[in-house]
This record gives sequence, C-alpha cells and structure tokens, in this order.
Amino acid sequence: MLTFIGKRLASGVVALVVVACLTFVLLFTTSGNIARNIMGDQASEESVAAKAHELGLDRPLLARLGSWLWDAVHLQFGKSYFSEQQVVSAMVSRLPLTLSMVFVAIVLTALIATLLGVTAAVKRGVVDRVVQVMAVLGASIPGFIIGIVLVLVFAINLRWFPAVSKIGPTSKPSVWVASLTLPVIALVLNGIASATQQIRSAFIKQLELDYVRTLRSRGIPEREVLFRHVLRAAAPAGLTVLSLHFIGLLGGVVIIETLFALPGLGRLAVDATTQSDLPLVMGVVIYTVAIVVVVNLFVDIANGWLNPKVRVS
Amino acid sequence: MLSRRSVLKGAAIGIAGVAGLTACSGEDTAASAGGPKELVIGILAEPPSWHPAQTHVGHLLQPYQLAYDSLLLRQPDGTLKPMLATEWKYTDDAKTTLQLKLRTDVTFSDGEKFDASVVKANLENFKKANGKQVAMLENFASAEVGDASTITIKLAKADPAFEYYLSQAAGLMGSPKAITGTDIATTPVGSGPYTMVKAESVKGSQYVFTKREGYWNTSLQKWDKITLKLLIDVTARVNAIVTNQIDATLLDPNTRSQAEAAGLTLLQWPVDWNGLLLFDRGGKVCPALADVRVRQAINYAIDRESLVKNVAGGQATVTSQVFGPASGSSVEGLDKLYTFDQAKAKSLLAAAGYANGFDITIPMTPGDDVTSNYIKQMLGDVGIRVAITAVPAADYQGTIGKGTYAMARFNLFQGPTWVACNQLIVPKTLYNPFQSTNDVIAPLLEATRGAGDQVGEKGKAVNQYVTENAWFAPFYRANQLYFYNAKKLKVTEQVQMAVPSIYNYEPVA
Repeated sequence: MLTFIGKRLASGVVALVVVACLTFVLLFTTSGNIARNIMGDQASEESVAAKAHELGLDRPLLARLGSWLWDAVHLQFGKSYFSEQQVVSAMVSRLPLTLSMVFVAIVLTALIATLLGVTAAVKRGVVDRVVQVMAVLGASIPGFIIGIVLVLVFAINLRWFPAVSKIGPTSKPSVWVASLTLPVIALVLNGIASATQQIRSAFIKQLELDYVRTLRSRGIPEREVLFRHVLRAAAPAGLTVLSLHFIGLLGGVVIIETLFALPGLGRLAVDATTQSDLPLVMGVVIYTVAIVVVVNLFVDIANGWLNPKVRVS
Repeated sequence: MLSRRSVLKGAAIGIAGVAGLTACSGEDTAASAGGPKELVIGILAEPPSWHPAQTHVGHLLQPYQLAYDSLLLRQPDGTLKPMLATEWKYTDDAKTTLQLKLRTDVTFSDGEKFDASVVKANLENFKKANGKQVAMLENFASAEVGDASTITIKLAKADPAFEYYLSQAAGLMGSPKAITGTDIATTPVGSGPYTMVKAESVKGSQYVFTKREGYWNTSLQKWDKITLKLLIDVTARVNAIVTNQIDATLLDPNTRSQAEAAGLTLLQWPVDWNGLLLFDRGGKVCPALADVRVRQAINYAIDRESLVKNVAGGQATVTSQVFGPASGSSVEGLDKLYTFDQAKAKSLLAAAGYANGFDITIPMTPGDDVTSNYIKQMLGDVGIRVAITAVPAADYQGTIGKGTYAMARFNLFQGPTWVACNQLIVPKTLYNPFQSTNDVIAPLLEATRGAGDQVGEKGKAVNQYVTENAWFAPFYRANQLYFYNAKKLKVTEQVQMAVPSIYNYEPVA
C-alpha cells in the first residue's frame, strides 16, 4: 500500500511540474503588456517600464521560470501584481469556502445519486424511467440557470434564503448554512444525473450475477444483500464518476460563486485571469492540480478497499 | 431497503433544520427606526491595496474616502471646497507655485498629527510609489514646508488640473508613520471619517468601517457603520438590492427594470463617452485616415440614435464631442455636429479619393461584439470595409496604445478639461499613440495649459478643433444607472465620477 501511494504521489508531482511549466510559458508569452495593465492608461512609458523592471518582467522567460520553480519548491509562490497579497495567503483565504461547498455538494450528490440509482435498479419499470428522466433533465439544464431560478424563487420571491452570500469572518454557522444552501443545491442538481446513471447501471449489472442469487437463496435479508454486498461491488463505478465530478466542480463552481458573490477560489481564478495577475493564476493552477492528485489518490485507495480485485491489479 | 416513510421523514427533518437555521441567519438592511445608522453599498471593484499612493479613480476612489481625507474636497457639482487645506492660491503668474494653508486640528487614526510635513511626505511618497495615478503628479517638482500649517508646492510646468488632482488620489493623506510601512496596504491609516473593522473585513468579499471618534468634521460622518460589499456580477448586484441585502449600487440597462419593479429609486448621470478614437491622423497605418474628410465621413456614417437605442438601452445622450458638459469646455451645437448622413459620408469619401472605400482593422474585446458589429455594418454601408481582431480585455488598453491600430472603440471618462486633454490630445499620451500634433492644436493646448481658472473657456477652442477635424467619432455619453433604497437613504450624484462620493449618502430622517 505504501509503495502504491508513493508511486502515485511521485507521478502526481511530475504532473504538477509539467503543468506548471506549460502554464507559465503559455501565460507569460500571451499576456500582452502586464505592466501597462497594472499601471493603467494614465501612466507614462517611463512609469510602466519601471513597474516592469520592479516585477522582473523584463527578464528572459526561462530565467523567470527558473526563479519561479525554485521559489515554488520552497512553497513561495510570490505576490499578486495588483494587490501585493501573498499568493499562498490568497489561496488559503479562498479555499475553505470553495472546498466546503464542493465537498458538501459531492456528499449530497453521492447520497442522493445512490438512493435514486439503487431505487431505479431495484424497482425498474415506471420508477426507473422517472428517475432516468429526472436525471437527464438535471444534467441538461446548465448549473447557472438552475442557480438563477433558485435565486428568483427562494431568495427574491419567497425570501427564504439570501440572494448573495452573507458570510463574513465572524459569521454564525446559521449564516454559512443560509448562504451556501442555494449554491450547493445548484451544484447538486446539475451533478446528480451522471452519478445516478452510473450507479444504476453498475447496480443492475451486479444484480444479474450469480452471487446475488446465492445470497438470496441463503435467506440473507434483502436489505443486507443490496447494501452490504451489491452496493459495495457496484461502488467503484460511482466513485469514479464522483471523483470526476469533484474535479469538474472545482472549475465549474466559478459561475455559482459569481452569481452568489461567494469569495471562493473560482472567483479568484476568474478575476486573476481577466486582470492578467499571473502569480495568482499560477497559484490557482498549482493548488487545483494538487487537489486533483490527492482526490484521485483517495479514490484509488477507496476503490481498493471496496474491491480487493482492484488491489491485486 | 429504505422505506418510503423513513425517506420522507428524513427529508422533512432536513428541510426543517435548514429552515430553522436560516431563520436565524441575520437581518437585511431595512430601515430600523432609532437604531444605529448602517449603510451597505454594493461595489464593483475592491481596492487592490489600501495604501493611499495606490488609489485609483472612479469606482475605486470611493472606498478610500472612508479612511482618508483629501487636501481639497470636490463637491457633487465639481466645485472645490476646503478639506485638509483651508485656502490655496497660485502665487506666480506662471501658475507653477501653489501655496496651501492647512488645518491644525487633524489627527490620524494612529494618533499621528497632520501638518505641512505630512503633506510633503505623502506627495513625495505618491510619486515614488509609482501607483496607478502617478501621472497626477507628473508636474510635481517639490514641496516646501513653511510652518506647520503652510506648504508651497512647486510644479515643473503649469497644470490646470492640479487642484482637481488634490481632491482625488494624489491629495489623499495617509499617516506619515504608516505610509512608509507595509501594513497600510491591508489596513488603511488615515484621518478620514471612518476606520476599518479588520475582524469583519475580508478581501474579495466585504469591507466594514465604523465611525471614527474624534473626527474633525462630523458633518461628513452621516453613518455609524458602512459596509462595502464586493459584487462584481451585475446579476448578483440586482438580486442583492431587490432583496434589501444592500442599500445602493450601480446597475445597467438590462437590470434596470427589475430594480424599478422592486420600487428602488434611480439616479442617473453621464460619466463616460463611448465612441471611436481615430488615432492615425498621419496615415501611418491606414493612409486614408490622414485625410480629415475621411475621418469626418466616419462620423457621418455612424447612426448614433440607433446605437443609443440598441446598445445603450436608451440610457445615453448622443454626442459628437469628447468634452463633457461638466468640463466647462463643452461647446453648444457640437453635440449634433455630425448627424447620421450616409450620402454625405460617401460624398466626403469620394472627394478624398476613396469612392471605392478602403480597408481598416479595429480591435475588439470579448463582450464588445455587439457594438463592434454595428460599427462594421455602419461603416460598411458607406464603403469602409472593417475587419475585427479580438484582443483580451486585460490587454486592450496596452494594445491600442501601441500604435498597432489606426482606430479603436473605447469607453472613456469625460473629466475636467485638462484631464481630458492629457488623456486624449497631448502628443505624449496613451490615447494619442501616433503623437498627433500640429501648428494649430499645439498653441491651443499651451494656451489651455496656462489658463488657470479660465481653463474651461480656453479648452473650448481645443474641443472645437478636434471635433471639427474629427480626431474622434464619439457615439454617446452613457448614463450611470445608480439605484438606491429611498426609504432608507438619499444619494446625490457626483459629477465626473463613476459612483457617488462616500459623502453623498445620507440617511432619511
């Protein structure tokens, strides 16, 4: 197990370095006059040149890449060009909100998708068709449309929830719940479809296997057959799609964060990109890739625990 | 298998739990009689740094006004009044020596005292820090401290906008102890009416300020607490204001009806002009533009009324001049100098030798495709074939300032006369990348520069020249659409500023 984890982490680090270098080169060769963007239209050419020199933008690209990699190894990712806030500090302040929203959305998606998928697989017939239609509808409507409808109905008309985030540093848990309920629902509704379909298909496949007939013939309660044995065997397919969904959410959450004014990582990524605040963009890329590597590792470990055959292979 | 009953029971408990928690999630900002006066403003952009040397203009000046006073106070109608400076005057005919008398009863929030040496330190720091508005002090040469309440500022050459700058970013005064440190970037230290509550302020989300005890001018402290809530997206802003989560904010033509339907009050005033900058008056990139008749033809080819209706949602005023009404250099009659006349456009082109038209390329930022395609169609109708190149928004200003394109569309602030001249017309400015000048405009600019209080009047000649010679093709002056909750407050517009000054919000009695 330790060897397995070690190998996966090592390959994750390699992926991180490759992505970082490619991103750095692409960003810095296509970003135009960054110093002018920072200084604005009223600044003289001399001021702009001074700012470019101050930020090291007049150094050769490879020299800058080398410096950035050396600093990154020491976990120094520089400062924002515009706010001079440390990149690490910016990430740390934004990550908890995004991760908590995404994590809650994933857990709810998993629970609801499991419930719907198992129900559809076991009941079949009309119930199965209804669940499939609902799942497809949820997938075909973009997340931001769901978000807008939720705001219109539950925030603006019914006033049950705030239209934009009220979360502050001293906010009570109730404020967190109130501000995140609609965004999480928007994320969940959009993501249930694929997970439900995967769990349903995997469950149906398992139900057709001989061991299920054997378990039933031994008089084991149906609930135990379905949830202790069949679900466990069908889980890897669901886990895989949920891990992909988690990764997709990290990028897709930006629209929801913008609509609900949530100061998360997604909004930071968009703001940094539109401003060409390249140290922050690099920070977002590194943190996101690192999260993806860690999530994939956990999913592999979980799959191995659920299905011993996977461990052997 | 889970029973239907247990599933429904679980869902009911979950919903009741969320409803119970959210019922205690905090109140909105609806007026509460007798309680503390609290104001929540939705803002579009947050200060990247709270250091006064990094102050910007427009939307980004308002937050700084909470913590910092300026040397001069700009009233809503644009007139200048005393603030930290009680009097000021030029002591020479060349208008390069400005003497200011200062208040002696002002302290900063860290206890430091305000005096002439503080002004000197702030001005020198502003120039050295090379912030976004460093150009405001382009002509600042030195500051001499007379006594604690007297300072004399020397300019390298006359600058008619200098007093205006002292009411803006360049005039904000930070604590002398704090401006040389780094903490001021995250926590402002000024002599202003409010102080930041760090514990409740979060970068990227909101900034909370409370009334500062002992502030020297209580008439400017109309609120006990002011929260600036960052809402970049206009949908989020309109949702927040119609649900009373904020009290005032800037919206756009698409969200106007939703705000009006919710009973909010609209304040509108023009700030920017939208149009084409016809940079290449020498014909370097596009030889056709060297001929004034071609540039005039472009003006006649534009259907401004149609753009106001279809692009600006009717929330704009047609214009042909780049100097706004509040500048003092606006000339009556110039607004309608170029009417929509395709026949005249074609005849001008033919007279200039371009009866078959010519080709030109313009840059476009994402989101600007509607206007750009209108321009392409309108100019195409008179024979000018326009190609459009996409340029990322973050690179747009730098790109058009490089002289790559012969003309470009942009929204630009209509400031005071000399600010507009510096922005658009003097040879060494970003928006004059080909450094157009000649024996006619140069002396007009010099006369305007040295005009002192008459800068508005003198600037009319500059305006007349650049408009008649079609240096630009303005379309309209767009209105800012500022909404607020009139049950709780009254807001006054601030001339030539994207949002009202922080002093312009008062609680309703």
